[in-house]
Amino acid sequence: MQKNYASTDDCIVALATPYAESAIAVIRASGEHCLQHADNLFSRSEVLASATGHSAHVGYLLHPVSRERIDQVVCTVYRAPASYTGQDSVEVSCHGSLSVIQTCLEAFRAAGFRPAGPGEFTLRAFLAGKLGLTQAEAVAELVRARTRTASTLALGRLSGRLEHRIEAIKQSLLHVLAGVEIQLDYPEEDTGEVPHDIASLIRARDNVAALADTYRTGALYQDGVLVALAGATNAGKSSLFNALLREDRSIVSDVHGTTRDYIEASIDVGGVPVKLVDTAGLREIDEQVEGEGIRRSGRIIARAAAVVYLVDATAGVSAGDTRNLADLPSDKPVVKVWNKVDLLPADHAVPEGYIRSSVESGEGLAEILDAIFSRISGGAAALTGDETVVDSARQHDLLRRAAESLERTITSVHDEMPADIVAVDLQDAVGALGEITGEVSTDDVLETMFGGFCVGK
Amino acid sequence: MDFDAIVIGGGHAGIEAAMCMSRLGFETMMVTQNLDCIGKMSCNPAVGGLAKGNMVREIDALGGEMGRLIDATMIQFRVLNRSRGPAVQAPRAQADKKAYEVLAKKTVERQDHLHLYMDTVVDLSFDSSGRKVTGVVTQRGKRMSAKVVVLTTGTFLNGKVFIGEYSETAGRLAEPAAVGLDRTLAGLGFRMGRMKTGTPARVARWSLDFDRMEEQFGDEDVVPFSFSHTSVNRPKLSCYITFTNSKTHRILEENMARSPLYSGLIVGSGPRYCPSIEDKVVKFPDKDRHQIFIEPEGLDTEEMYLNGISSSMPEDVQEAFIHTIPGLEHAELMRPGYAVEYDYIDPSQLYPTMEAKLCENLFIAGQTNGSSGYEEAAGQGLIAGINAARRLQGAPPFVLSRAEAYIGVLCDDLVTLGTKEPYRMFTSRAEHRLVLRADSCDMRLFEKGYELGLHPEARYEAFCRKRDTIAEIKELLRRRHLSQNDFDSDAASAMNGTKLLLERHVGKSLYQILKDPQLSLADVQYVAPELVEANGEIIPGEWLRQVELDVKYEGYVARQERQILRMDKIERIRIPEGFDFNGVTGLSTESREKLNHIRPLNVGQASRISGVRNSDIAVLMASVQRRRS
Repeated sequence: MQKNYASTDDCIVALATPYAESAIAVIRASGEHCLQHADNLFSRSEVLASATGHSAHVGYLLHPVSRERIDQVVCTVYRAPASYTGQDSVEVSCHGSLSVIQTCLEAFRAAGFRPAGPGEFTLRAFLAGKLGLTQAEAVAELVRARTRTASTLALGRLSGRLEHRIEAIKQSLLHVLAGVEIQLDYPEEDTGEVPHDIASLIRARDNVAALADTYRTGALYQDGVLVALAGATNAGKSSLFNALLREDRSIVSDVHGTTRDYIEASIDVGGVPVKLVDTAGLREIDEQVEGEGIRRSGRIIARAAAVVYLVDATAGVSAGDTRNLADLPSDKPVVKVWNKVDLLPADHAVPEGYIRSSVESGEGLAEILDAIFSRISGGAAALTGDETVVDSARQHDLLRRAAESLERTITSVHDEMPADIVAVDLQDAVGALGEITGEVSTDDVLETMFGGFCVGK
Repeated sequence: MDFDAIVIGGGHAGIEAAMCMSRLGFETMMVTQNLDCIGKMSCNPAVGGLAKGNMVREIDALGGEMGRLIDATMIQFRVLNRSRGPAVQAPRAQADKKAYEVLAKKTVERQDHLHLYMDTVVDLSFDSSGRKVTGVVTQRGKRMSAKVVVLTTGTFLNGKVFIGEYSETAGRLAEPAAVGLDRTLAGLGFRMGRMKTGTPARVARWSLDFDRMEEQFGDEDVVPFSFSHTSVNRPKLSCYITFTNSKTHRILEENMARSPLYSGLIVGSGPRYCPSIEDKVVKFPDKDRHQIFIEPEGLDTEEMYLNGISSSMPEDVQEAFIHTIPGLEHAELMRPGYAVEYDYIDPSQLYPTMEAKLCENLFIAGQTNGSSGYEEAAGQGLIAGINAARRLQGAPPFVLSRAEAYIGVLCDDLVTLGTKEPYRMFTSRAEHRLVLRADSCDMRLFEKGYELGLHPEARYEAFCRKRDTIAEIKELLRRRHLSQNDFDSDAASAMNGTKLLLERHVGKSLYQILKDPQLSLADVQYVAPELVEANGEIIPGEWLRQVELDVKYEGYVARQERQILRMDKIERIRIPEGFDFNGVTGLSTESREKLNHIRPLNVGQASRISGVRNSDIAVLMASVQRRRS
């Protein structure tokens, strides 16, 4: 991590809000003496350099060389160490036009600010001791959280919820470990033959494994999934695509439209960021080269977490549909939609496993979204944001390691292995959890030993 | 110069330091307050035990004295933790205290180049810089000069003994404290503190009712501590076990105000792991009894040691509570229990060689450094002696790693973490516990002792025979595969259940077979009689056991080492000498102070400093690596 950044105290700058047209954009800068450097950029000279922390100042942002006014802005000043990075920092709120943002950033660069690398502000906050490791990871994820549920989950971790749960498991294991160690170091004491606390071990293993298993869900909410719309050309895929976009009121990114060679959009399905791809776009654009279109369509479907397959109810299930469905990989979750039911009598028969739908009337859209959610989440209930979820690969690996070590510990206890062997795996489990929430020192173990057992001659 | 080296103190640390330097040919003067107290055991009459027994064998493998002294004077031997895995099994012996002292004195008296003088050192002398020691000044005004000084004052530095309301200036009961050196050390700038430890009453053997106690026998088979002994033939005495009860606890509770621990007379911190009986009663009110081991102090004395009820209560209270204990109803007190409080130096002011950072050629070892225990003292004394000698030789320092010896753990912990209570070794302190086995100390350290010049040729040759034979046995186990024919021999036909266990392994190498937890090397010998003898001699059981444990534990050791490797990548990130911690932005003030104070040699050592946060280590790591690139 350190290698990417030559220094952790020089002045860095970055756009803190998305690079998009908006009412206001915020540019953030941080570093030692950054306020003196930024003073050049501000119309009211000497104001920033002498400003107290947590104060806001209105003025014009100037180009440091040409002294041309760029925009009217508000500068919010933070003084070390009371800032996110622990260093002097300034946040400039300017108008959110792309050209203004560009020019402001150029001005900062001209004043000697270096564009920040990804996560560099958070790295500095971590290095300044402002954030624990899990918290730093959570901030990074908060920044790239794409849906509201995902950001609520990230916030939960930030407040230390994950840390708290792991800490609780670690403490319970520390007690078991202390019990083993006390027997090893005080073999003659009247502690009796303290039996290995197998119940605690099993509980801890289950808890750790359960927490590790939330990773899939966590990653799902964080990274999102791809869902492909498929079906015969006239089945109504494009209409459904547009209808689903309308149904979702929290569109995160724009429809990329036909400028690309396929149509995709991000929608929020039960809190999961879903990238919806209309494979129709593929075929239609590439109709001259049908083979190529089918190949690309196949690639999209292979990557998709689920496929929504539309059948035109007025045409019925064609031989082509049957073939297409049979061609899907057998483990690919499929949502089958019986579309255009508004054109048929209300009491017509819907084939088994299909959702009745009419893009025209809006019938069945909610069911389709529900079905998509249940397929991509493997049937899990939607997260509300209150759950503790692991969504960093590092934490997931450490939890898996802890769970495996606990499994081996339990096996060793069952096999009546000597306590010094049991301790090896138990220590590894505690160590793995310690790597997430902070290391366990020998003194922590001894503290627990002497706090919990009366020993000593 | 009067001497090459001066050792202040004749306790367990002083003996090892003095023996080692004089053995290497340096004229060494041991100045002690009392020639009749050399090698005295101030507290319990035992040597060894968990981790401590390993240290005794490490000292022996390096060429120290302690193992030979205890082998010759033990009155009971036991291997502790037999049921809990070989890595944590440890030898312990009850000692005949007087015999131990006599032998210790005789040993130092007969050592070439070692001189003894009875006096109290009250000051040190320095060169013009004031930062290099040049000798000592005694109470009677005698001045002696030397190139190096090893200071081992134990509990005597400003020692104060407490029994209830009574207190006296003493390092042991009725033995005068050493006053004066504390000012010299403080003058050098040493941060010093007070520590407290305690000892229980001694009672007369004839006054005890052994029928009311459980007798605890020693082991029949005695494994010598010293690798230079093949057997030990000593008398075997028993210990006895009894328990306190609610009456005992009531008496203690009623008189708590008279305890110097609770009345505020004692300010020093005592050990959590070895609390006085009054501490136990206060801190564990729910425990209705506490165990007591009654241990003989020697063959020629009636004194018995009451292990588990150390106390600094007034004598009448001690007598009263002792009389509530089964078997001790009529016990006659011969010496009261007492607490002793003394000055110690914060050991983080030392290098891992035990040399003071503040003063060149001054080495400090033992309880003065805040440790506790004869074995911990002796281990430090040996390291201090070795390094003082190497200073005289102009040779590079000798430091043991945490993976090589408990002594390595001991020195690293003391100089890195400092200590706030008397430091005792535990197996839990050693992350490499599985490789620090008591039986294999010679394989880890004997060669080093020989290279240091501390083993005579003959002993080294004996070690080489053992090492080579063990290697040959392992090689044989790897090469030799079990075949069905192996079951045809007469020896094999004597097997019963073992045969079934072995038959499952036909075709595998004996090495693999030995990993089966249900099979021992003795079982394998049935089918491979070539493992019984080497070079025409029966292979000693201890050697075979070492092979067996090496093989059986190999996999677990590998796993433990992987864990350590994972944790200790930072161990290899060296912090350059003279690194400016003040120049690192982002360090917390507390960490900055601690890092400046300890001056760790690598990021791993920095990470073990208490109070240095994970985030500070990340900052340090970033900053050290940045500066390098």
